[in-house]
Amino acid sequence: MKNDTPLLEVKNLDVRFAVRGGDLTALRGISFSLDKGERLGLVGESGAGKSVAAFSILNLIARPGYIAGGQILFEGRDLAAMGERELRRIRGNRIAMIFQDPMMTLNPVLSIGTQMVEALKAHRRISTKAAREIALSKLRKVQIPSPEKRLDQYPHELSGGMRQRVIIAIALLLDPEIIVADEPTTALDVTIQAEIMALLLDLCEQEHVALMLITHDLGVVSQVTQRMLVMYSGRIIEQGPTREIINDAQHPYTQGLINALPQMGEPGARLFQIPGSMPSLKNVPTGCPFHPRCKFATDQCRQTMPEYVRSGNVDVACYEVSNLIEQEKRMQEAGS
Amino acid sequence: MTSPLVDIRGLEKRFDLSGSLLEQITFKNGRFQRRQEAVHAINGVDLQVYKGEALCVVGESGCGKSTVARTVMGLLSPSAGEVHYDGQRIDDLKGQQVLPYRRKMQMIFQNPYASLNPRMTIQQTLEEPIHFHRPELSRNEVRSKVREVMESVGIDADWGSRFGHEFSGGQRQRIAIARALAVDPEFIVADEPISALDVSIQAQVLNLLMDAQETRNLTYLFITHDLAVVEHFGTRVAVMYLGRVCELAQTATLFSEPRHPYTQALLSAIPRLEDDRPNYIRLQGEVPTPVNLPSGCVFHGRCPYANERCRQEIPRLIATDGGNQVACHAVEEGRL
Amino acid sequence: MTTATLSRWDRFRESFLWYSFKRDKVAIASFVVLVLMVLAAIFAPLLAPTNPYDLAQINIMNSELPPVGMQGADPAFPLGTDAQGRDMLSTILYGTRVSLLIGFGAVVLQAALGILFGLLAGYLGGRVDSILMRIADVQLSFSTLMVAIIVGAVFKASFGNLMFGEIAIYMLIFIIGVAEWPQIARTVRASVLAEKKKEYVDAAKVMGFRTNRIMFRHILPNTLSPIFVIATVQIANAIISEAALSFLGLGMPETQPSLGSLIKSGFDYIQSGSWWITLIPGLVLVVLVLVINLLGDWLRDVMNPRLYKG
Repeated sequence: MKNDTPLLEVKNLDVRFAVRGGDLTALRGISFSLDKGERLGLVGESGAGKSVAAFSILNLIARPGYIAGGQILFEGRDLAAMGERELRRIRGNRIAMIFQDPMMTLNPVLSIGTQMVEALKAHRRISTKAAREIALSKLRKVQIPSPEKRLDQYPHELSGGMRQRVIIAIALLLDPEIIVADEPTTALDVTIQAEIMALLLDLCEQEHVALMLITHDLGVVSQVTQRMLVMYSGRIIEQGPTREIINDAQHPYTQGLINALPQMGEPGARLFQIPGSMPSLKNVPTGCPFHPRCKFATDQCRQTMPEYVRSGNVDVACYEVSNLIEQEKRMQEAGS
Repeated sequence: MTSPLVDIRGLEKRFDLSGSLLEQITFKNGRFQRRQEAVHAINGVDLQVYKGEALCVVGESGCGKSTVARTVMGLLSPSAGEVHYDGQRIDDLKGQQVLPYRRKMQMIFQNPYASLNPRMTIQQTLEEPIHFHRPELSRNEVRSKVREVMESVGIDADWGSRFGHEFSGGQRQRIAIARALAVDPEFIVADEPISALDVSIQAQVLNLLMDAQETRNLTYLFITHDLAVVEHFGTRVAVMYLGRVCELAQTATLFSEPRHPYTQALLSAIPRLEDDRPNYIRLQGEVPTPVNLPSGCVFHGRCPYANERCRQEIPRLIATDGGNQVACHAVEEGRL
Repeated sequence: MTTATLSRWDRFRESFLWYSFKRDKVAIASFVVLVLMVLAAIFAPLLAPTNPYDLAQINIMNSELPPVGMQGADPAFPLGTDAQGRDMLSTILYGTRVSLLIGFGAVVLQAALGILFGLLAGYLGGRVDSILMRIADVQLSFSTLMVAIIVGAVFKASFGNLMFGEIAIYMLIFIIGVAEWPQIARTVRASVLAEKKKEYVDAAKVMGFRTNRIMFRHILPNTLSPIFVIATVQIANAIISEAALSFLGLGMPETQPSLGSLIKSGFDYIQSGSWWITLIPGLVLVVLVLVINLLGDWLRDVMNPRLYKG
C-alpha cells in the first residue's frame, strides 16, 4: 500500500532562535516522514520543541526563529526554500493547522460563515453562494447541531467544544492533504476532549487526510495515532509504531514518561519519577541531552550524541539500547 | 467514623452579575423591572473531610470545585451554609480570630508561575509566614526552619537568595508547597496543584505531596479535573457537576463501580494508554450555564435515563449497597 | 543557574534593562545629557561665575550684553546678560536647578498621593474605589493651569509679593503635585487590579496577612515598573507646567528665576533685539524636557511586559 515517496518528508531540520548572546538551537536534526492518510503523534513535554516543529513544517517560524538547515519536502517540493507567495498557496489549502486556542484562528468580529467563505475564496474562484454551501457541508461533517444557525453566529456565542469543531470544519474546508493539530484539546474538558478526538480520528479516516497530532498526552496519542515521535530538548529520541512504543518503550526517557503516569502506578504507592527537569535551550548538556536525568548514563553518553539504532520497528537514539543490541548480536553469533 | 476535621454544610455561593442598582433596572413592556442575575457556582454542597485522608473533588470546568476550595479557605465568603473546622464554625470569624486557623489550614495553588511573589526571594517568601505566625522564634530559628522545609521539598537550601523566576515550573511548585508547609499545617487545600506541570514533573510533585502526607500526617482536600490522578491519590472522591455533588465514594469503589450516569461518562472519557480508539459514553448537549440552573436534577438535560421526576425534583445523596453515595433518582429507583 | 548567588550589581548587569540600554544610542545620549544637566544644576553654586540672587554682584551697566561671538559682547558673560545685568549662564544654571527641583518635588508628591489612593482604590475596590476615582475624575476635569492660576492668585493676594517669593517654590510643588496625582493613581490602580488576581496575593491572604501588609509589601513592589515609567514622563510635564505658570507670572518671581520665569523676563526685550534672554533658557528647557521624555519612552518600551517575557 505504501507509496515510494511519502507525502511529507522532513530531512535533518535545524531550527534556531537568534537571541542576545548567540543562537539557541530549538530543533536539531529532525527527520521524519508522513504518508498519505497516516496519523502521526508528536509527543514531548513543554520546551521539547514540538510546537516549533509543527510551526516549521509550515515554514511559519517567526523571527527571531529561523530554519538553519535541512529540508521539508511536501510532495517532493522543499517548503523550507519556498517563497512566501507559494507557501501561502500551500498553507491552509494543502496543509491545514489546528491550534490549541481556537481564537488564534477565529476572528472575533466576523461571523463564522463570513470567515469560512473568505477562506474558501482566498484559495478558489468560487461564488459566495457556492462557498456558503461548502461551509455548511463541512459544519455538518463536524456534527455541529443546527449548522445553518452557526454560519451567522460569532465565535463568542459558541462554547469551547463547539468552537474547536468549527476550527476542524475550517481546517477541512479546502480538503487538505495534511492536518497539523497542535494540542487541539488541551484547553477542553475530558468529556469534550474525548468527543473532539473521536471526531478528528473519524474524519481523517473518512477523508483520508494525514494527521500530525502534537500533544503531551500519551493517552491521546495511544488512542489516535499509528506512529509516534518522542521529542526531548529539540531532538527526536524515539520514533516508531505507537503500539510498539507504548507497550515496550526503548528510550529511558520514554519509559520514564510512560511509567510516571498515575494510571501506570499502584494506587496510593509512590509513582515512578524521572529526576530533574528538561534543560532550557540556553544550556543543553553535551552528548545525549537526557544524560543528567538518566540512570544508565555513561561517559559515552556525556560526550557524544547517540545515533539512531533500530530495535524492532522503532528508531531510538540511545547508547544503552544500541549496546544491548550489539550484545545480543554477539551472543547470537557466538551461539551459531 | 469519628467527627470530621472539616465539615462543609449546605454550602452555596452565588456571584452577582447584575452590577449596581442602576444597571439592574430595565424597561420592558412599558414597565420598569428590576432584574438580578447571578452565577450559581455552588448549590448546596455537603462534604466531610476526615483526618488523614485525601478527599478529591473532581469535575469539569465550571462545576464549582475551585469555588469550594476557596470558600473553605476563606478567600470567598459563602452565600449560604457553613464551614466547620474541628467542630468550630470558621466561615464567619473576623479579624484576629481567624489567625489560628490560618496556621492549621494552608493552600497550594494551580499556577506556580503566579503563586510566588516575583519581587521576593525564596528566603523572604518562606521566612515571612514563619515570622508572622511564630513571632517568638529567633532569626536563627526561623532560618533553620526555612532550611529544613526547603530540604523537605527537595530544593537546595542554598538557593534561598534567588527569585522565583530563576526556577523551573516544578521547582516553583515545590517552593509553593514549602511555603504552605512552613507554618506546620494540619490540613491542606490543593487546587489543581499539578495541572500546570509537565508529565514527568507531575509525578515528582504528586510523590512529594504523598510523602508530606505520610511524614506530617496531613489531611488533603484535593481539587482536580484529572481522574487518573484521583485514582492514584484519593482516599475518597466527590464528583461535582454544576455546583452539586453527584457522587461520593471510596476511590476504588468509584472507579470499579461508578453509579451516577455522569461519573460513568467522565470515567469513560479518560484517555487510557491501552486503548486503540477513543471509547467513551457520549453525552447529549453541553453543560448548561450556571446562570439559569435547570430545574430538578442539574444533569437531566444530558442524561439518557432522565424522566419526569428528574426534571422536577432535586435528587439527594443517598447511600447505595456498594458504599457509594449517589444523587440520582434512577439509581434510587433501581432503574440504573 | 550554575553560579551560587549573584550580587545586586551582577543581577543588574545581566538584566534586560541594562542590555537594552547599552544597545539604544538615543537612550544613552539622553541619559548623558540629563545627568550633565542635573549635575550642573546641583553644583550650580560652584559652577556659576556669579550668584544671580546676590544683588551686590549685579551691575545694571552690564544689562543686555549679547553672547560671546556677537558685536559688543563681554568675555566675562559668555551667554550674555539679561535686562538687569545678570549673567545669563549663572541665571540659567540656577534656573535649571529651580525647575528640576520643582519637577522632582511635584512628582514625589504626585507619586505619594497617587500610589496611596491607587492602591486603596484598586485593592479595596467597591465603594472606596468609586469615591476615589470620582474624585480623580473631578480633579482631572480641571486643567492644571486653571487650578494653579486660581490657587496662585489666592496665595499672591493673601501673602503679598515679598512673602510669596519665599514660598513660591513650595506652592508650585504643591499645586502641580496635587493637580496631577490622578495620572499616577490610575496607573497604579490598573496594575493593582491585574496583580491582585494573581495567586501570590491569595497565598498571602491564606497566610492571614493583614490588608496593609499585602498592599504595601506584596502588591506595591510589583506595580513599580509602570509607576517608574509614568513618573519619568510626569517630571517633564511638571517642569513644563511650572514654566507655563512662571511665564504667566504666577510662578517663580524674577528674583529667584526658574527657566520659565527667565523666558518670561526676556520676552519683553525680544522686540528690542535682545533675543538671547528668552531664546537660550528656552532652548535649555526644550532640551531638558526632550531628554526626559526620550528616556521615558525608552523605559516604557523596555518595561512593557508584553514585549519582554522572562
